[in-house]
Amino acid sequence: MQLAVNVAVLAAIYALISCGYVLIYRVSRVLSLAHGELMMLGAYGLAVTASLFVGHPLIAIGAAALLSVLVGVLVYVLLMRQMTGESVLAAVLTTIALGILLRGGMVLAFGTQTQYPLQQLGWTNASLPVGPSARISAAGLLLILGTALVYGGLFAFLRMTRWGIRMRAAGQNPLLAAQRGIRLHGVYALAWGLATFSGGIAGMLLACDAGVEATLATIGLKAFPAALVGGLDSLAGALIGSLVIAFVEVALISYVDPLLSDVVPFFVLLAMLVVRPWGLFGTREELDRV
Amino acid sequence: MRKTLWAALVALAAIQAAPAVAQDAYTVGVSAAMTGPGAGIYAPVVEAMRIYIDHVNSRGGVNGKQVRLVVLDDGAEPSRAAANAKKLTQDNVLMLVNSSLSSTYAPMVAESKRANIPLYFAGSVCPKETYPPADPLQFCSSAFGANLDSQGALAFVKAQAKEPVRIGFEAMAIPISRAEIDYAETLSKTMGMTPVEKQISPPPAPDYTPYASKLKDANPNWVYSWAPWVAQVRTFEALRRLGWTGRYVTWAHLNAEEELARIKDSEFYVIGTNALFQDDLPIQAEIRALTHRAKLTYPTTYLTEGFIAGRVIESALKATAWPATPQKLLASMNNLKVDLQGLRGGPLEWTKDNHFRTRQHYRVWRWDSAKNAIVRVQDWQAIEVKRP
Amino acid sequence: MTAPRSSGYFRIRYEDDFALIDTRTQKVWLGVLAFALAGFPFLANSVLLDLANQVLLVSIGAVALMLLTGFAGQISLGHAGLLAVGAFTTGVLFRELAAPFWITLPASAVAGALVGLVFGLPSLRLRGLYLAVSTLALHFMVLHVGQEYETRRGLSSGVVIEPPSLFGYALQDGRAWYVVLLAASTATVLLSLNLLRTKTGRAWRAIHGREAVAEALGIHVPVAKLSAFIVSCTLTSAAGCLAAYYRGFVSAEAFPLFVTIQYVATVIIGGIGSLLGALLGTLFVVLFPYAIEASMNALGLTDRLSSMIFAINQAAFGVAMILFLVFEPQGLVGIWRRIQAWVLLWPFGQKPLGRP
Repeated sequence: MQLAVNVAVLAAIYALISCGYVLIYRVSRVLSLAHGELMMLGAYGLAVTASLFVGHPLIAIGAAALLSVLVGVLVYVLLMRQMTGESVLAAVLTTIALGILLRGGMVLAFGTQTQYPLQQLGWTNASLPVGPSARISAAGLLLILGTALVYGGLFAFLRMTRWGIRMRAAGQNPLLAAQRGIRLHGVYALAWGLATFSGGIAGMLLACDAGVEATLATIGLKAFPAALVGGLDSLAGALIGSLVIAFVEVALISYVDPLLSDVVPFFVLLAMLVVRPWGLFGTREELDRV
Repeated sequence: MRKTLWAALVALAAIQAAPAVAQDAYTVGVSAAMTGPGAGIYAPVVEAMRIYIDHVNSRGGVNGKQVRLVVLDDGAEPSRAAANAKKLTQDNVLMLVNSSLSSTYAPMVAESKRANIPLYFAGSVCPKETYPPADPLQFCSSAFGANLDSQGALAFVKAQAKEPVRIGFEAMAIPISRAEIDYAETLSKTMGMTPVEKQISPPPAPDYTPYASKLKDANPNWVYSWAPWVAQVRTFEALRRLGWTGRYVTWAHLNAEEELARIKDSEFYVIGTNALFQDDLPIQAEIRALTHRAKLTYPTTYLTEGFIAGRVIESALKATAWPATPQKLLASMNNLKVDLQGLRGGPLEWTKDNHFRTRQHYRVWRWDSAKNAIVRVQDWQAIEVKRP
Repeated sequence: MTAPRSSGYFRIRYEDDFALIDTRTQKVWLGVLAFALAGFPFLANSVLLDLANQVLLVSIGAVALMLLTGFAGQISLGHAGLLAVGAFTTGVLFRELAAPFWITLPASAVAGALVGLVFGLPSLRLRGLYLAVSTLALHFMVLHVGQEYETRRGLSSGVVIEPPSLFGYALQDGRAWYVVLLAASTATVLLSLNLLRTKTGRAWRAIHGREAVAEALGIHVPVAKLSAFIVSCTLTSAAGCLAAYYRGFVSAEAFPLFVTIQYVATVIIGGIGSLLGALLGTLFVVLFPYAIEASMNALGLTDRLSSMIFAINQAAFGVAMILFLVFEPQGLVGIWRRIQAWVLLWPFGQKPLGRP
C-alpha cells in the first residue's frame, strides 16, 4: 500500500513537470530543456511572495502562480519568438542557454542557501494516513491533487475552449492555422505561460516538501524520460509515462537496488526510443533533422 | 584565423597584468568553491576566515606584519582550481588553501608539489594523505574524519542504547558517502549491533519517501546517516512522516544548529567536532561581536569551521619568523599546536607524521522540546588518530 | 580541393589542386602562425601556458564534435560521456595494470570507438531531437558506470594518475604539455581536413544535406552515420585520455552535463560546418570566464562580487550563447568571413545576399 502511495506521489511530480515539456512541444515543436530551471524559478517565486505577503499564505501562492505564468509568457516573447523558423537544434540550444542563464541569475539573486517557503507561509508538512498501513505527506497529497486538477483543466481547456482548440490546431499544422487567422505568436506565448505555470506549481510543491536549493533544477531532467516514454506531444502519454517511470523507480528501490533507480529511467527511455521513438501515445511524425 | 590568433594573444597579455604583491605581508592563497555546487558548505569557511584575518590585521597583524588573504573562486571545477593554483604560486604565496570539492584536490596537490609550498585543506574533506603517515605538504583541519566519524557515532549509539540495536544506514550516491556508510555497516557488526538496512539515494532525488519506506520496513530502532545535509535531513523527515519513531544520528554540518531549531525533533541527534553556539563559550561571544560588524552572506552559526581555520593560519604564521618563506612555514606547521579555546574538544595538533590531528573529539546534541533549546547529550569523547 | 581565395591561375599541376594551401599569402601567414605557436611557450608565464594547454585540449574534442554535428549533422549530447570513457579507461588501466602511456592512449581510442558504435546505433532509427535525447541517456549511463567503479574500488575522491612518461621523459612541465597537446591538436585538425575531403567526408556532408538524396546517390547511409560516430568518438576518447593525464585525476564528477553543453557551444558559437569555427569556438568558450574575470578586475568590482563570480560566469555564458544563436546563427566564422569579405572587397564591399 505504501508502495502505491510512493509511486503515486513520484508519478505526480513527474507528471506535473512533463506536462510542461509536452505542452511546449505539442504546440511549437520545441523541446524546452530550460523547464527544470523555470520550475526552480517558480519555487523561488513562492519564497519571495511568501516573505512579502506574510500572514496571507493564499495570496502568496496566488501571486507566485501568476508570476510563473508571466515569466513563461515573457520567455516566449523576449527570446523564443526570435527563434521561430530556425533549426531544431538552435531552438533547443537556446533553451539550454536560457537554463544556464537562469541558474546563474538565480544564484546571484537568491544566494546559495536553502530556503523554506513552507515555513514562511506558516504551514507544516503534516503526515496523513491513507488506509490502514500507509501514510502520505500533505505536500504529496497536494501534488496528486494538483496534477489531477492541472491535467483535468488542460484536457477541458484544449477540448472545449476556443484558445485550446487554437492551440491544438497550431500544433497540428502551423501553416494552415496561421492562414485560418490564428495568431501563432499568441498561441505559443500562451503555451509557454501554461507550461511554466504547471512547472512552477511542481516546483512550489517540491519546495514545500524539501526547501528550495540549487539542485531542484536537475529534477526537471529526471522527469524527461517520463515525457518521452509517453510521447512528447500527448498529455495522456505524459501521465501514463510518469506512472510507468515512477513505478519502475520505486520498484527498483524497494526490491532491487536503490542505486539503479537513478539510471534505469534513462535505460527505459533509450529502449523506448529504439523501439518506438514517438512514445506510447505520441503521433508518429516525420522526425526532424538538424 | 591568424589575425584572430594574434588578437587573442594580445588580449591574453593584457589580462595577465597581475596585481602588485605587497612585500611586507604574509600572503596566503585560497582557492575555494565560493559559488557553484556545494558552495553552501565551502564558502562560509572562507568567509569566516576572512573576517578572522581582518580582525587579526586590525590588531596589528602577526609578528607586526599584516596577513594578506587572496581568495579565488574555482566553482568546484578542477580546471579552474588548477588555474587558480598556478596564479597563486605566481604571486608567491606562502601556502595554498583549498576549500572545495574533492575533484579539485589533484590539481592543487600537483601545483603545491611543483612549487614546494604547503597545501592546507580547510573545510573540505581531509584526504587520506593528511592522516599518518602524512604527505609532507598536505595539511588538514576540517571537522570531517573519514571512518573516525562513524566510530564516534556508533560508540554514541552503543552508549545510549538500552536495548539491542537494530541500525539502519543512509548514504548519498557519491563515492565518499557510500564509502563511509559501508565502513560503518561493517563496524556496527563488530560492535554487536544488527545492521538491518542500507539505503543509498541519488543526489537530486525528487522524493525521499521510497528510500525511507524501505528503511522503515526493516524496522530499525536507530538510523545513522553520513552524507551531505540534504540527504540526511530529508530521509529523516520522510521517515518521520511515515510514522517511524526511532532515533536518528547524523553528522553535524555547518547548518546543523539552524536545522535543529527548524526540525524540533527530540530524537534527532547530531554528532560533530565543532562546538555549537548553544554551548555558549566566551570565544563564541567574540565571534558574534566580530560578525555583527561585518556584512555576512551566511549566518554566524555557520562560521565556526572557518574561524578555526583562521586561527590555525594565524598560529602557523606566528611561528614563522620574518622574512617568511614557505619552508619556514612548513617547518612551523609540522610542529603546530593551536589552542581553539573550546571550539573543539582539545587543541589542534600537527606533527611531522600526522597532518590531520592527534585526537578527534566528538560531542552530540539534540533538540529538547521541553526547554525549547538545543541540549548537549554527550560531552567531548576523544578518539586517538594513529597510524594504521 | 580547396576553394581558391583569390583570382588568377595558381594551379598548374594536379598536386597543387590537392594541396591544403596554395597561394603565397596563405603560406606566409601559415609560417607566421607556426612561428607564433612555436615561440609562445617561451614568452608566456605559467598561467597563460595553462590556458593555452586548456584551449588545445578542448580543441580536439571540439573538432571531433564539429565533425559529428557540424558536418555529418548528427546531434550528440553525450560528449562528456565520451570524454569520461577515455578518461576512465586511462584511469582503470593505470590503476589496475599500471599501464604506460603508449598503451592507455590506444586503449582509450579503441574504447571510444566501441562506445561510439553504441552511441551511433540509435542514429540509424532516429534523427534530430530524438537522437540528441538518446545520446543524453547514454551519457548518464556511462557516468553511472564510472561512479560505480569509483565506489566499488574505494576511490572516493577519484583516481589519481601519475604523469605519463614519453620516451623516458615525464610530462609534468607546462611547456612539455604544450608541445604534446599542440602536436595532438594539429594532428586532429589535419586528420579532419583530410577526412572531409575524402569519400567519407563527402558522404557525411551528403547525409547532412538530405538523407533520401544521399541514399539515391548510392551512399550507404547507415555506414556513413556510424562512421561519423565512430571517428568522432574515437577522437573524443583520445582527448579524454589526454585530459586525464593533464589533470592527473579522473572522477565522475568532472564530467557533468555542463561540459557537453560547453562543447556544443563551441560548435554553435564557432559556426556549424567549419573546422575554423571549431577552433574559434574553443578559444571563445575556454577564454570567456577569464575574460569576464579580467573585465571585472578592470572595473574594480572584484571585491564586492568575488563570491558571485561563478554565477556571473554562468549567466554571462548563457547570455553570450543566446546572443549568438539569435543574432549570428553562423557563429564566429560568419563574423570572420564577413570581415574577410569586407577587407577583400574594399572599397567596393556590399552586404551579400544569403550565405557567402
